[in-house]
Amino acid sequence: MIKSIEKQRNIIDFTLSSLWRRKGKNLALLVVYTLVVFSLGSVMFFTQALKNEAAIILRGAPEIIVQKLVAGRHELIPMASAQTIRAIRGVEAVKDRLWGYYYDPIGRANYTLMVPEGMDLKENEIIVGAGISRVRQVFRGNALLLRTYDGRPISLFIKGILSPESELLSSDLILISATGFRRLFGVSGDDATDLTVTVLNKKEISTIAAKIVDKLPDARAITRDEILRTYDAVFDWRAGIMIAILAGAVLAFLIFAWDKAAGLSGEERREIGILKAIGWETADILQMKFWEGTIVSLSSFFLGVILAYFHIFYASATLFEPVLKGWSILYPEFRLTPFISGYQIAILFFFTVIPYTVATIIPAWRAATIDPDVIMRT
Amino acid sequence: MIELQNIRKVFNEGLSSEYIALHDLTLAIAAHQVTVLKGPSGSGKTTLLSILGCMARPTAGRIVLAGREITSLPERFLTDIRRQTFGFIFQHYNLLKGISVIENVMLPAYPQGEPFSLLKKQAADLLKLFNLTHKAAAKVEWLSGGEAQRTAIARALVNQPEVIIADEPTAHLDTRLSREFMDIMRDFKAQGKTILIASHDPIVHESEVVDRVVQMRDGRIIDAGVI
Amino acid sequence: MRKSDGFLLFIGGGILLLAAIFIQAHFVTRANLPLFQQKAEVVKSLGLTDLCLSTEARYTRHLSQSDWHAAFQSHPLALDHFPIGSIIGPPETLTKPHDQIH
Repeated sequence: MIKSIEKQRNIIDFTLSSLWRRKGKNLALLVVYTLVVFSLGSVMFFTQALKNEAAIILRGAPEIIVQKLVAGRHELIPMASAQTIRAIRGVEAVKDRLWGYYYDPIGRANYTLMVPEGMDLKENEIIVGAGISRVRQVFRGNALLLRTYDGRPISLFIKGILSPESELLSSDLILISATGFRRLFGVSGDDATDLTVTVLNKKEISTIAAKIVDKLPDARAITRDEILRTYDAVFDWRAGIMIAILAGAVLAFLIFAWDKAAGLSGEERREIGILKAIGWETADILQMKFWEGTIVSLSSFFLGVILAYFHIFYASATLFEPVLKGWSILYPEFRLTPFISGYQIAILFFFTVIPYTVATIIPAWRAATIDPDVIMRT
Repeated sequence: MIELQNIRKVFNEGLSSEYIALHDLTLAIAAHQVTVLKGPSGSGKTTLLSILGCMARPTAGRIVLAGREITSLPERFLTDIRRQTFGFIFQHYNLLKGISVIENVMLPAYPQGEPFSLLKKQAADLLKLFNLTHKAAAKVEWLSGGEAQRTAIARALVNQPEVIIADEPTAHLDTRLSREFMDIMRDFKAQGKTILIASHDPIVHESEVVDRVVQMRDGRIIDAGVI
Repeated sequence: MRKSDGFLLFIGGGILLLAAIFIQAHFVTRANLPLFQQKAEVVKSLGLTDLCLSTEARYTRHLSQSDWHAAFQSHPLALDHFPIGSIIGPPETLTKPHDQIH
């Protein structure tokens, strides 16, 4: 037992010396490999964290949202439609929502205006999200100048700032009273942006949604399940960036494998011959090749995973930020909660360490079975 | 010590390039002696040497090593026997480039799983014996011809083999170094090791250290020498 | 020190660090649970439907409320004008109609 451990350590010693001979190449390999693991790991951590976060906090989203469509666009819905929906059996309550977007030419950012329920706001009072406060440098007690739909400037008094912890939800929000909202956008008292529906039997949600669409053919219904599932599609393999990253990883791996397959040069074959001649058996050679693959891939794996973890959870996913930010000015600053699972790590391990190690051993197989006396005849 | 019975070695058997390297050889090598295989190149010296050293299997015939029939052993056991019984010195030394001298010396012992410190001490002792201590950490490609040869000898000794096998050891050495090599062989013989050398260099087979010269030609023994 | 010891130490360190990450992640997640509760409350009280990931366009701000003609990438290699469209797929409302009533 001790002997076989000692033997493996000896073989590792030799493998490291052997790798160190081409340190430039092997270190470059390590860096590229680490980058591959890092990008795949970052995608995995980011996706998982975002999915989990969305799944937990959006559980409180409205059960059904009914929106009116006119010529394929979301339009204001008449409050009267609420009556039609209430008449459907199984509907517990229907509420109207008022919300919309405001493009602020000063901050060059888009805000989401929303009328909260049961919040005591005066007509000229607002509560803003932390992102708006940051972009416009406005704080509690300041006034925010907006323009109404007919071009009149109105000054809105900032009553409070939403907590930075909820920035992933509320960074760009402006909470405003219903009268303030209608005055700002010129929305008549008969209309709402959309309607939310609460259903008595939660199992009936999709049936009720279908009934609503049946009663109101010009409307569409979005259920909570659909909202939740939307965030399951983050970094779906079909998504463009994912394909780009995967393609990069696959290409990098192919280059490795090709290099390995072609890498058994005459020189390497000769070395295997020498080792066999001085008393190494086929299994020893294969173990050496196993360690050769393992040393590179395992080191890269650990480095990549650890870097990815810090990238996503402590550096606010800096490399994905440009993608999320896109062309927008207002970008939420959030720190994701590290939901990680052994399953993810195992997947990453199987997709990175195993193939490389196998690709290192396989080409050596044939060379390792040559007769040791070949080296004497050359 | 080693007995060959009706050894036959054929390369590329069944192909048009078929070539018979050894024709039904029978030879017994005595222990604690220096035996030299002599003959022109292509006479089958190296092939015979690799069969004697359990590196290659004969196409037909039997090898008996210290009373044990080893021809039919599987690779693992054969390698084990080879590693423990034989130390090889190759014509081109076959040191691994880019690896330090001491590691080259230790290499044959790695699969044995001996404790590292012990192994390192053995290797260091051998290097000291051959005046190579100052080169221990150097890479082998920086060595002079003589140093490379002594490194190769040290490597052959690291597993404390009973038999030393050298294939044309003086082919790339000048007269002085060749004589030095034979002096080292004399010391080994004095230590009771069995030595097998293939060479057509007169410095080797005319040396007074040599007990027996086996002459070969075209894969046959033409003079088995005096035992 | 032996080279192999260096390597084994490195791998051991890697395993330890990975374990530390798991433990740390576990505790951070647990410590953040009240925060989640709080955020879920915000969602409930304001009737929110989406995460605020990207504010550049209507369909990227409210992914689940996007129009039927929103510009989600429809081909694996099609990169959207708005970059976020290339990391998130179209919501189910756009790809699967509700069950029809018979």
